[in-house]
Amino acid sequence: MALRELPSRAASAVLHNSRPAVLALRPSGRRNASSEALRDVESSSSFEVPFVSDSLVKAFDPIERSKRRRLGKKPLPPSRYQFRPPKYYRGPLHPHQPPPSSDPVSREFIPGPFASPRLEQTYQSTIASDLMTLTYHHLPPGYRAPVQLQRLREWTGDSPYFKGRPLRPPRGGGGLRLLDPPRNFKNIPEITKVVVHSMVPEAQDNSAHLHVAGMIVQAITNVRAVTHKARHNVVGWGLREGKYVSVTADVEREDTFHFLSKLIDVVLPRIKEWKGVAGTTGDSSGNITFGLTPDVVAMFPEIEVNYDSYPPKMIPGCHITIQTTATNDRDARFLLQSVGLPFYGKLVD
Amino acid sequence: MNAGQQTTRRLVSRTGPSICRSCLDTLSRQPYSTAAAAAIQTEPQEALPITPPTPSPSYALHAGILVSRPPLLTRPPHPFESAYHLYQKRLNERLALPFTRYFYIKKNTPGDLEWKRKIKQRLTPARDIGRYRGYGDEAWNDEVLVGAQESEMAWQVERLLEDAERDGGEEEGKKGEGVQTVGGPKKLEREPVERPMPRVTEADEKGDVRSLGRLLQRSLYLVVKNKEGEWVFPQDRLIGKESLHNAAERVLVQSGGYNMNTWVVGNVPVGHYQHDFVPEHLAKSANPTELGLKTFFMKVRIMAGQADLKSNKLGLTDFKWLAKEEVQKTVDEKYWRSIKNMLAER
Repeated sequence: MALRELPSRAASAVLHNSRPAVLALRPSGRRNASSEALRDVESSSSFEVPFVSDSLVKAFDPIERSKRRRLGKKPLPPSRYQFRPPKYYRGPLHPHQPPPSSDPVSREFIPGPFASPRLEQTYQSTIASDLMTLTYHHLPPGYRAPVQLQRLREWTGDSPYFKGRPLRPPRGGGGLRLLDPPRNFKNIPEITKVVVHSMVPEAQDNSAHLHVAGMIVQAITNVRAVTHKARHNVVGWGLREGKYVSVTADVEREDTFHFLSKLIDVVLPRIKEWKGVAGTTGDSSGNITFGLTPDVVAMFPEIEVNYDSYPPKMIPGCHITIQTTATNDRDARFLLQSVGLPFYGKLVD
Repeated sequence: MNAGQQTTRRLVSRTGPSICRSCLDTLSRQPYSTAAAAAIQTEPQEALPITPPTPSPSYALHAGILVSRPPLLTRPPHPFESAYHLYQKRLNERLALPFTRYFYIKKNTPGDLEWKRKIKQRLTPARDIGRYRGYGDEAWNDEVLVGAQESEMAWQVERLLEDAERDGGEEEGKKGEGVQTVGGPKKLEREPVERPMPRVTEADEKGDVRSLGRLLQRSLYLVVKNKEGEWVFPQDRLIGKESLHNAAERVLVQSGGYNMNTWVVGNVPVGHYQHDFVPEHLAKSANPTELGLKTFFMKVRIMAGQADLKSNKLGLTDFKWLAKEEVQKTVDEKYWRSIKNMLAER
């Protein structure tokens, strides 16, 4: 076998050495990081349309075509079975499983995204790289970070049940705080979610307040509002257990950017003598909260356009929590300042 | 300064000149325990004789500035992206709850009449998705045909403007022109709606590379022509113990003048370029221990103003505001290789 291959191998070796220079110039199939990846994957794009004559395109009318096809024929029987996803999830072993929520037939499907928001593009093109430069901390080559000691406590004692038990949290309340990993391109803080919360204790006596609050929160956030009951009796705040008192909306993905840009570019600049968001806000893990009074909520363009449709004196104020991936308030504040939210007073980290 | 830091500083300074000042600061910020341990370990070395300082081969330090104007406009969407967005909008029209007209538009008002006329024409509350019916026997006909404009941004903007300018009566009038009675409804006079500014500016059309009003959807970088006639980013040698941030601010003023509203982003450089002198140059130079120069680039954003080289002190003769791929065509190949990764794609 090897002997039989020998001549061909020798020939190929010779050929290899006497390769003409033209071959070196030929475009090679090798892919570099710099070469356009798509071009290598497929030569033809799915966006390309096969050539059709102009007259054919102009004459094409799908409705007319289907009518012509059905002309003089018996119509097909209406389909017996039309799929409807189950209303309730009855567990993983049930034969009738609901489709995933990304499927348009699912009851949980929410269409979108409808656009690529301007604020998101600004974040990607400008803000993210500036934050990276601002918060980067250089460590010299060969630097080894000090070993992080165990932050949870061991169970000490001679009880046999201590073996294999999960570690105890540290003494005192509060639990463990988030660690601040060194900044790199993968952990630049970004806005993940906004929660709009409006509490209306008057709704306990007159539910109209809750309906109006729900309509307003939905109108300004473009998200279905969720109502909440009071969990305890609080005499000081006039809360009674089990009564509906508040509405929230979790604004995520594309809506976040639309809501924030509306808030920052339209609503907040119109507040008279507004100092900004208090510098003391924040839960020390990168989430910033501030409140809006009823007259500010009324300045949202969606409310303003038909202000008269809302019952007078029922427009509620609201709290807005901006959740970020920052691990401390300082970085979260940096991010929100670059988005355009001003802070005032003493800054607490 | 306390004893622990002193020790660390001394230890580090003995390791050689290859550690920069910020690294030195970082090292000397070690906890006392580790610093003390290091001091104990290297105790025998303390007895070594201290040699007089000799000038070791080194590089001249330069501070460069990467002045950029961030993109002012959104990027043009990819055809697939806009087609996908149109598809999702149409899907939403089919799946969302119907528009609550009576909440927004009072009955029997001019606005109500206008709404009724317009919804008859476009079939959906959405004004930018074309003529589309989400319900009924023909709901299956939801595909966009070949050559349709519906997914294009310009087309959608036109439809929105058209909707704001007209009251929906025009099309009906056109159809029944002969039937229209003399005493028909008066034509509503509307204010012309302000149209958005064009995305392509005058500077784009002229190709004016000195203008900041060019390529609004891209980042532009300030490139200058130096004494040697090379296109580079503005740079100058560090003076004394000047920090990179201060040097960047100085270079800004000395090159572009005061007529720029700028912001030096952070205290750390975003890139560096090393230039080694050729041996002939080294032999002739007065300082043969200087092997070349290293330029560290500080990121600077320009908010307003324009570069003005009239009174520059760095001997610059010309400037350009260029996008990334234009920078590649302008600067030297070796220079490009060290700077390309600090320029944004967009």
